Amino acid sequence: MCSIGEDDFGDEGAAHAMVAESLPTGILISLGDCSKCGVASNELYKLNFRVAECHDCFLIHCRHKFRAALGAAKVLPRNADVLLSLDGSAESLVLLDMLHFAQTQNTFRRLHCNARVVYIDDQSVHGGESINLHALQALSKRYEPLEFYVTEFGASPCSLQRLEEYSPAAKEPHTKLNKLRSLTARQDYQQQQLKHLLASVAQRLCCSHVFESRISGDLASQLLTAIALGRGGSAALDVALLDDRLAAGVKLLRPLRDLNEQEVRFYLHARQLKPLRQSGSSYGQERGPTASLQNLTYAFVHNLQQNYPATVSTVFRTGDKIIANAHEELDSCAHCQSPLDAKLSDTLLAIEYSRAVSEAGVGLSENGDDSERLAKQRLAVKDGLCHACRCIQLELGSDLLT
Amino acid sequence: MPVTCKSKCGKAAALKRPKTGDALCKECFFAAFEAEIHHTITSSKLFRRGEKVAVAASGGKDSTVLAHVMKLLNERHDYGLDLVLLSIDEGITGYRDDSLETVKRNRDDYKMPLKILSYEELYGWTMDRIVSQIGRSNNCTFCGVFRRQALDRGAKLLCVDSIATGHNADDIAETVLMNVLRGDTARLRRCTDIRTGGGEDSIPRVKPLKYSYEKEIVMYAHYKKLVYFSTECVFAPNAYRGHARAFLKDLEKVRPSVIMDIIYSGEQLRFKDTVKIPVRGTCNRCGFISSQQPCKACVLLEGLNRGLPKLGIGKKSKGDRMIARQDQELALRERANLVKNDF
Repeated sequence: MCSIGEDDFGDEGAAHAMVAESLPTGILISLGDCSKCGVASNELYKLNFRVAECHDCFLIHCRHKFRAALGAAKVLPRNADVLLSLDGSAESLVLLDMLHFAQTQNTFRRLHCNARVVYIDDQSVHGGESINLHALQALSKRYEPLEFYVTEFGASPCSLQRLEEYSPAAKEPHTKLNKLRSLTARQDYQQQQLKHLLASVAQRLCCSHVFESRISGDLASQLLTAIALGRGGSAALDVALLDDRLAAGVKLLRPLRDLNEQEVRFYLHARQLKPLRQSGSSYGQERGPTASLQNLTYAFVHNLQQNYPATVSTVFRTGDKIIANAHEELDSCAHCQSPLDAKLSDTLLAIEYSRAVSEAGVGLSENGDDSERLAKQRLAVKDGLCHACRCIQLELGSDLLT
Repeated sequence: MPVTCKSKCGKAAALKRPKTGDALCKECFFAAFEAEIHHTITSSKLFRRGEKVAVAASGGKDSTVLAHVMKLLNERHDYGLDLVLLSIDEGITGYRDDSLETVKRNRDDYKMPLKILSYEELYGWTMDRIVSQIGRSNNCTFCGVFRRQALDRGAKLLCVDSIATGHNADDIAETVLMNVLRGDTARLRRCTDIRTGGGEDSIPRVKPLKYSYEKEIVMYAHYKKLVYFSTECVFAPNAYRGHARAFLKDLEKVRPSVIMDIIYSGEQLRFKDTVKIPVRGTCNRCGFISSQQPCKACVLLEGLNRGLPKLGIGKKSKGDRMIARQDQELALRERANLVKNDF
């Protein structure tokens, strides 16, 4: 049956349909003139929708995006203490390099903040190889005078150590995480725990702001994931420049949100940076795209990025148009600090009602109202959790999420 | 050992509900499925006693199940509704002509009056003729836009109070994803609404199957042995919805509850004050609901009648240029004729 309705047509008819793009872009290793400054260069960088530019012009362009994100929104007070979360990915190295560069500029152009770097060793959840200390130490040396710290995922914030004093020990597997049945719930839980850990490390180091290195593609994927997990009410904060849900008033900033995957790749080349981990190697991703909602969404967006980069940009921009569904008088979720529902959602009631009527079966004709009462009772449980965190709690069983 | 029905009715389970994962026997599944739709109708106050409701019927599984359940619930719970079937004949040979036969059978089975309106009588064009003009690249634009208005026209003609459509939970979740993918905030705001329209100038549309999974609708139709038409349209499928649909189906395989979670997310989205909200008014040419002047249906129809089928496809400025060029050519030709007549 044809299910095409009015929703399939924009004001421009169906002309907005996804059309695969194929533009000749890439790093051109041939002699030529920079289209921006006109200087001859033996290495030109050609980004999608931009002219070919030399090494210096390309770096100016990327670094401007980082500075503009922070500057335009005025979210970073002068001389703020900043904690940079380094996970060894290409994006986090780019952020580290840009932050270091911004701090080593002359007084007039300098980014006035006191930055520290924390590497979160997630071997206890990730398994696999241990932290590459040599590579980290090399980074620490390259980006002096920034202070580098290491902590472990799942450990108490007291375990935070300076990089030079850190020695990896055998890790205990993360018990609560392993109790969760599905990888979807585990990845969601891990993401929330990571935020808790960053907040406590920031507090310990007296930092008011945390820098996260997510770029536009990551945020497009995050927006779709949040929607798929039932986190629509807080999805805006998951992709915004500023996320203020962290404990003790610590603010999470995403200054690379306007960069795309191609810019990151070229930047690594231009600055000769080598990531400590491959892209798409975060927790659980090694299990393939069909193992969780997050992996599937990541693969979907990655595919869009390859064939329809404009659509990824559109998704990311959709995130810019939304705000958190918050109500001043209401509490936040005890686990993820997202705003709780102001009133009983018809959709959540329909979900619980379905469970109740399945239990009642043919006896429904006599006790239809009982099913609704039961559904409402189940929804009224005062656990202080949002819908998505309740889904995690359901898988945890008797253990409490918070 | 056979799995027993979750409701403890003592019977062996015949199916596993995709929505809740519960194993149920056929009778308990029917009871649960119908109770859910009744709950949706009553809790959302979709209808009022004495209203006349048009069930949009295409002959497909959704509208067939909708018509069947609406009739059943209307009698069982005494809603006091006057139900009629409303079908649109787009004029697609080998597709709509066959599906309309199914609708006619539904009319006889459910003893509900049926009104069929055709594109031919409303617009003077059938989809077969439109496709011969426009080709297969933008034909769905015409069909979708005309169908929406045709339903409004039919509803007005039948003097109904509302139109019940067969949109199911999968359709709504798909639409949420599709609108995020193309950044259509205007539609994202309203695509999860169970009731749309219903202002002074329009007849409301309601979605009683909003919380029913497509898989369960198919199961219900199958076990109830309902007659429905399941052939895809002979003209090109819509690639854009296809992307969202394939993605949703993959998500559903991982976590079946994702469909309801996406609908819930869609309802929870809030937009910045700076995001433009289109003002819905009425078209000054045809008088039907529209957020632009003239409405899309009128622009598309004008294009067909002027011999410029691409007029309504693409930007409005492009369409304006096409009209200006054609008017200029016509004026030139007229002047040439005048000059010829002078001699």
